[in-house]
Amino acid sequence: MSEVGTKKSDGLSRRDFLRLMGAAGTGLAFAPFIPFGDFMPNPNQASLEKVPVILPDGSQANMNTYEINSAQVITYPSTGDPALDAEAFRKWQFIRLPEELGGGKTDTTGIRAYSMICLHLWCLWKYWPEDGRKRGECPCHGSMYDPTTGTAFVGPASVQAAPSNTLPELTLEIDSDGFVFILPPKFDANNNGVIGYGRFA
Amino acid sequence: MAVSLDRRTGIVALLYWIWDGVDRTIFTAIKFSFPARFVSPFGFLGMLTFSTFIILGVTGALLMFYYQPILDRAWDSVAFINDDVPFGFHIRNIHYHGSNAMVLLAVLHMYYQYFSGRYKIRNEILWMTGVILGVVTILEAFTGYDVIFSERAELAISIAASLTTSIPVVGPTIRDAALGSGFSDFVLRFYAQHVFLLPIVMLGLMAVHFPRFLVFDVPMVMAIGGAILITGGVFPIDMGFKFEPTVPPGVTVPEWYLTGIYAFMRTQYDKFVTGLLWPLVFIISLVLIPFLDRYKKFSWRDRPMVTAFGITSLAQIMVTTYWGFYISPDVSIPLVERLVIDPIFFYGVMILLVPLGFGFTYMMIKLANEAERKSKLAKNTGPQKVATINLSDKWINWLLVALLAFQVFLNIAAYNAALTGMKNVSLFLIGIILLVFAAFFHIYRYALSQQKSAPPPAPVRIVEDFPELSESEVIPEVTADSTSETSKLPDGTSEEKPKELAPTVPTTTKADLDIGTNNNTNLGSQDLTKP
Repeated sequence: MSEVGTKKSDGLSRRDFLRLMGAAGTGLAFAPFIPFGDFMPNPNQASLEKVPVILPDGSQANMNTYEINSAQVITYPSTGDPALDAEAFRKWQFIRLPEELGGGKTDTTGIRAYSMICLHLWCLWKYWPEDGRKRGECPCHGSMYDPTTGTAFVGPASVQAAPSNTLPELTLEIDSDGFVFILPPKFDANNNGVIGYGRFA
Repeated sequence: MAVSLDRRTGIVALLYWIWDGVDRTIFTAIKFSFPARFVSPFGFLGMLTFSTFIILGVTGALLMFYYQPILDRAWDSVAFINDDVPFGFHIRNIHYHGSNAMVLLAVLHMYYQYFSGRYKIRNEILWMTGVILGVVTILEAFTGYDVIFSERAELAISIAASLTTSIPVVGPTIRDAALGSGFSDFVLRFYAQHVFLLPIVMLGLMAVHFPRFLVFDVPMVMAIGGAILITGGVFPIDMGFKFEPTVPPGVTVPEWYLTGIYAFMRTQYDKFVTGLLWPLVFIISLVLIPFLDRYKKFSWRDRPMVTAFGITSLAQIMVTTYWGFYISPDVSIPLVERLVIDPIFFYGVMILLVPLGFGFTYMMIKLANEAERKSKLAKNTGPQKVATINLSDKWINWLLVALLAFQVFLNIAAYNAALTGMKNVSLFLIGIILLVFAAFFHIYRYALSQQKSAPPPAPVRIVEDFPELSESEVIPEVTADSTSETSKLPDGTSEEKPKELAPTVPTTTKADLDIGTNNNTNLGSQDLTKP
């Protein structure tokens, strides 16, 4: 074959290619052991302990005074930093159920604390105590939550597969004086649920 | 060196020295042209988008002086800028309306390039970087209206974070790394992305996206700036409600460039598919258009399928944008019925728009071809009629003086309005100032091009055709410059001969300019005839 018209080789010999592959392979093999992205995720800033339920007015919730068929926003875990405590992920709807759903009882069956983050697109839902509603409603896309179970029954959140149709819940405890406490939660889908993701009912 | 007789001394010499030095830089590789007459802004919408980007950069930098990206202070700092910082209201409104203008201009720019087939023949890279640049522009605008952290912004951040989390397998990790673990992080990181990361990405993409030939039309840039300010003056952007975590927010919708996607998300289907996959499919098909379009021609009329797809996409964007906005105002019906869009109805309309779009395109091509055929016929038979406004030197001067005086008045009025606290009025007036400046500049360059046009050649007396020439100023000139034969002849007898000479008179003589026969529309456009 004549020299004229032959193409120049692509410049990478077999030996060079193998060397390159060797270097790349070595790099890739060790890559998972280097904590590349650890700078970017934010480490947790609050420890999960048993704490009293502090209402927005600063007092501790008490079953003897907390109104039946009403809801207030509580912060958990609270850090003491007002900027961090303003986070929606730390906000829970503290609901005392209406009379017909068992809200008259003074034990823990009459109260609930659900994450305020809607399971659909993370807007903040709210409990509506009016007659005919008595349910949690999200202002973004209209998902509605059953206050007794925390499961969505209408709207986009209700068509999501479990566990993404049931709100995360805090486990509550009531002492002999009627004061309400939050027990240390386990934030995984089988226990208290994952905020914004859901809980197996 | 010999003594120079030119006037390049002092500051002028310095300026020329700088200009010569610029010759060694990258800027000479970019051919800027400053049109000497009005040209359609559709051709340089990209340059207008970039001008808006510069406006946003300047105003954004000023906003950074006062804004605090802290969860419980963000809204208060914006309120401080809006209410207390001198001219903070102006800066914030220019920034807000400028962002809307930039998104709008980018979309218009894209569709103009799409329908005129500019993405073909070695322009594929320009087109693809342009589409990505458009997506980043929307992300930039989105992160911008989120950092206010009003109720609406909080919901928008929620939706963005949950959409990121909904990406299969890697979503939660991406969200944790890019956006952070909670809203305190979200606000700070949206801010970091808004003021640094995304603009840097945009500048990098622009370095690739810029073509070598740019048109910088000063009046049009001024007019766009004026339009932004006037919009800010007439529709000043409100503060929204400060987000209080204990007060669940009301019903809101995102900004207009995202309601199209929002409509899909309101159909109850999976959030990843509707919120990320559909937009991604749309973006990827736009990126790939240069490789799907196999037509050999450029005009939209010669590429019926591509045009039909463009028209259909435009129709779908308009319908979804409106639909995403629309929430029934009837508060008596349940929220879920007001907010959820029936997916069968919605997707049915989307599909119905496809044949409608194709039919509309077919009709438009038919009509355009017919119109072209008719205009060709008309050109062959009838006279060419182009409506022009021609002004004499005198009137140009008076007009410039009048516009200058008007600008002085507007300046005083705007300053007075700002002093007396009528912020939106002063913003409106500054917008008018920019518009008046645009008009001023346009008339100025018109005057320049008039001056550059050819001096009058030897004219001849054409008394019957142009009665205005019989004025006393013109007659002596005509007789003096005329050939000796005709000048010696008495006026009464010479009238027949010049009439025969009339067709040879060039169209752009000084005399013609005053009497409305100057039909040369390419006057002064030599800059635009470059390849």
